[in-house]
Parts: sequence; structure tokens; C-alpha cells
Amino acid sequence: MAALVPVINMAVRHEIYTGSGASPVNILFDANWQLMAMLNVLLVVMCACIIYNSEYADNAIQKMRMLPVHESGMYFGKSALIILMCMTVLLIEACGVVFCIDYWFKGNRGDWDLLFKSFVYEMVLIIPAVLFSLFIASAFKNMWTALGTGVVCVFMATMLPAGNFLLSLFPFAMPFQIFTNTKADNISNFIIAAVIESVVIIIMEFLLIKIRRLSE
Amino acid sequence: MNIIETRNLTKTYAGFTAVSGINLHIPKGAVYGFLGPNGAGKSTTMKMFLGLVKPTSGSFVIDGMSYPENRTEILKRTGSFIESPAFYGNLTGEENLDIIRKILGLPRETVDEALEITGIAQYKKRLAKKYSLGMKQRLGLASALIGKPPILILDEPTNGLDPSGIHETRALIRSLPQRFNCTVLVSSHMLSEIELMADSIGILNHGRLLFEGTLDDLRRNAALQGYPSDHLEDTFLAMVEEDNRQLKSGV
Ligand SMILES: Nc1ncnc2c1ncn2[C@@H]1O[C@H](COP(=O)(O)OP(=O)(O)OP(=O)(O)O)[C@@H](O)[C@H]1O
Ligand SMILES: [Mg+2]
Repeated sequence: MAALVPVINMAVRHEIYTGSGASPVNILFDANWQLMAMLNVLLVVMCACIIYNSEYADNAIQKMRMLPVHESGMYFGKSALIILMCMTVLLIEACGVVFCIDYWFKGNRGDWDLLFKSFVYEMVLIIPAVLFSLFIASAFKNMWTALGTGVVCVFMATMLPAGNFLLSLFPFAMPFQIFTNTKADNISNFIIAAVIESVVIIIMEFLLIKIRRLSE
Repeated sequence: MNIIETRNLTKTYAGFTAVSGINLHIPKGAVYGFLGPNGAGKSTTMKMFLGLVKPTSGSFVIDGMSYPENRTEILKRTGSFIESPAFYGNLTGEENLDIIRKILGLPRETVDEALEITGIAQYKKRLAKKYSLGMKQRLGLASALIGKPPILILDEPTNGLDPSGIHETRALIRSLPQRFNCTVLVSSHMLSEIELMADSIGILNHGRLLFEGTLDDLRRNAALQGYPSDHLEDTFLAMVEEDNRQLKSGV
């Protein structure tokens, strides 16, 4: 669905955008990424909740705890699944952007490299959001509590001032970053931050499982 | 030889003692009946055996192994069914068993075997959330029996079944040690039910073990202590009442 955003936006207002001299990838990201990223993150939050709900709904999680598997293994499996889904979604979005470039910026090609890098960058930055939303989903037995918490966090992320580096490190805020608008050294900072955050969230999940086990 | 032994096993919830220093001895190859009124601590004890609940103090050994070091080993060898059945509602009965089969690394035909034994083979393509209570219960039983584990822990397995289901399940449990060469720990509220299945029993009340031994032991014991002994159910009720009275006067 998020892939349609640039297409629709272009279809309605293409004169404004094609008129400017900047790179089409740059223009398209600038104009559409806020909305696309929000849809992506909301999708991730929703999927995380639904996935964990199927564990909690008929107490399947109890059965799993009585089998020789580790609960953390389940968490990683689900993370892998959602990350795969994100890849698919981003790929579709990339197709949307390619379509826009091809259709409206006829004379202005040769940006495929930049486009590819942008989407890989978004892919890396969305990983902490995936892990964090699964963490939230696994923390609450009730799907609606988890969904509510997740959505509130997403809206908080959209309201954070974009200029502040520290604030934009919030897991749900990171996918809103745009590759072409970020300075080279900041790009590596963001990627390092994404990796560190992922590790921290995974440790938090381990602690959650452990604490829950001890308190039962 | 005992396959499960506990030593002063205790579980305390925020000042309330659910299981209080019990010493169980569950012989290998037997059906062991675990008996007690509501809230006696039967499920809590079984959950401790499965690592779902951490003991506050005391310890237990299952087949020479203990938690948390041998968690995987113990769970591989134990089929279990605790309180209400636990399953994925949006999958069919067959798919539910298939997940368990894959986790346990069992051959493919074990799924059909388990469905057959518990009598839900004809409903295997139906979503588990659309099962009736008794069918869910049977699915839970199937998920415990799959792969014929050497130890079975069944918490009130006949709960919610129709009379013929109760009868079948009792007969099944009775026959398990011979058929699958396994040990069964089964809980119930009713001595009359346990009487039909178990070789040895343990009676629990308010987290304390009132009696442990064979049914004959119980009869002899009852006669000695002046409890009614012609009907074992009466013996059980009298024992529990007496214990409750003592508890009250103690407080
Ligand atoms: N998570 C918990 N927190 C606090 N108390 C608990 C918890 N789980 C169980 N208890 C208490 O422990 C006691 C024993 O519960 P348990 O479920 O073991 O009883 P039971 O013998 O299985 O009873 P029933 O026959 O009704 O299934 C009860 O008084 C119960 O209220
Ligand atoms: Mg119980």
C-alpha cells in the first residue's frame, strides 16, 4: 500500500516535482517517505501483535513452554519472519519509486545506485523497529494493549523533532530517516545505532523472558 | 525404582504457600494418582515438574535429571497436559500436532497415531478453535501422548469429557504403562476415578502431602486410624476434613 503513495502523489502533483532540478530519488523520498515510513512501521507493529496474539489466544504459548524449545528462539523466528516481510514490502515500494521515476522523470535517469542504497539503508533502520514492536507484543498477553502501546509509540516517533540526532534514535523514529538527506558520517552513525539498539532490545527480550519465568 | 522424586518441594506465592515441603516418590512404570480438592496444589506441583513454575525451595529429580541444567532432556521425555489444553486456535488439530511432532523430531506417522488413540481422527481437518470442549481436551491429550514419551504428566485429563470419553480415557491411561512402557502421573479430584486407574496415589490438601502409597496401603491405613474404609472415597473425604479441622485449630 505504501508503494502507492509516491505513485498517487506524483499523479496528482507531478508538475511541481518534475520542475525542480534535483535528483528524482531525492525528490521522491523527500515528498513521500514520511507517509510511507509511517505505514511501514504501523504494518510492522500490527504484524507483531497479530503474530504474538496467535501464541497467547488459546494458550499455545504454555504448550510451547512445555516443549524442548526456547522462548527466545520463538522471538528470533518471528523477527526473521517480519524482517523478511519488510524486505518484501520495501521491494514493492522500490518498484513504486522506480515506476514514478520511469514515468515522470523521463530525461533524468541513472540514479539506480542511489535508489538501491536508500532502500538498503531503510531496511537496516527498520530492524530495531521490528525487534521493538515484537518486544512490546510479547510483553502483553492482550493484543489490544500491545497494539495500543505500539501505535502510541509510532505517533510519538512521528512527533519527535527530526533535527535532533539523539531523539531520532528512538527505534520507531529511525525508519523515518532519509538516506539522501543524511550526511555521510551521520549515515554510519545511524547504522551503528541501529545495530546497538537491536542488541539492546534483544537483551531486553531475554530479560523479559527470564523475569517472567522467575516470577511465576 | 522411582522415576520422579521430590525433596521438600515448596512453592510460595507472595506469602501464600501453595505447595508445602512435599516428598513424592513416583515409581517407574506405574500410574500414579495425584489426588486433592480444588486448590490443593496439584497443578502447581506438576507445573514445577515441567519448568513452568520455579520452586521456592526444595528440589526434585526426574529420571536422574533436574532443572535447569537438563531442561531440554526432561521436556523431550515428558508428554504433558496441564489444566486447560493449550493449542493454536487458528490451525487445525492435525497441524497443531504436526508442530509438536517437528519440535520433538518424531516420524510423520506419530500424528495420525495420536489422533487415532484419542479418537479425534475424523476432526483432524477442523480448526482447533472450533473444537468442542471435549475435543479440545482430546487434542490436549493427543499432544501429550504423541511419540509415546516415557513420562506422562496429565492434569485432570477427563475434565469436560462425556461419560464414554471418560471411560475410554481412564481405560487408556490404565493401559499406557504396558502399551508404551511409560510412567503416568495423573491428577484428579475424585478418588473413585483414581481408584480405577492408579497403582499408587498421593493425597494432597492445602499443599501438604497427607498420604502416599498403594490403594491397599490406604485401606489398611484407614482401618488403623479409624477412618471409614469400605468406601475409599469416604476415606479420602474424611482425611481431608480431618486435616482441615486440624489446620483451623492450629491457626
Ligand atoms: N500464579 C499464582 N499466583 C498466586 N497464587 C496461585 C497462582 N497459581 C496458583 N495459585 C494458588 O495456589 C493454590 C494451588 O493451586 P493449584 O492450581 O495447584 O491447585 P489444584 O490442586 O490444581 O486445584 P484444582 O483442582 O482446582 O485444579 C491455589 O490456592 C491457587 O490460588
Ligand atoms: Mg489444577
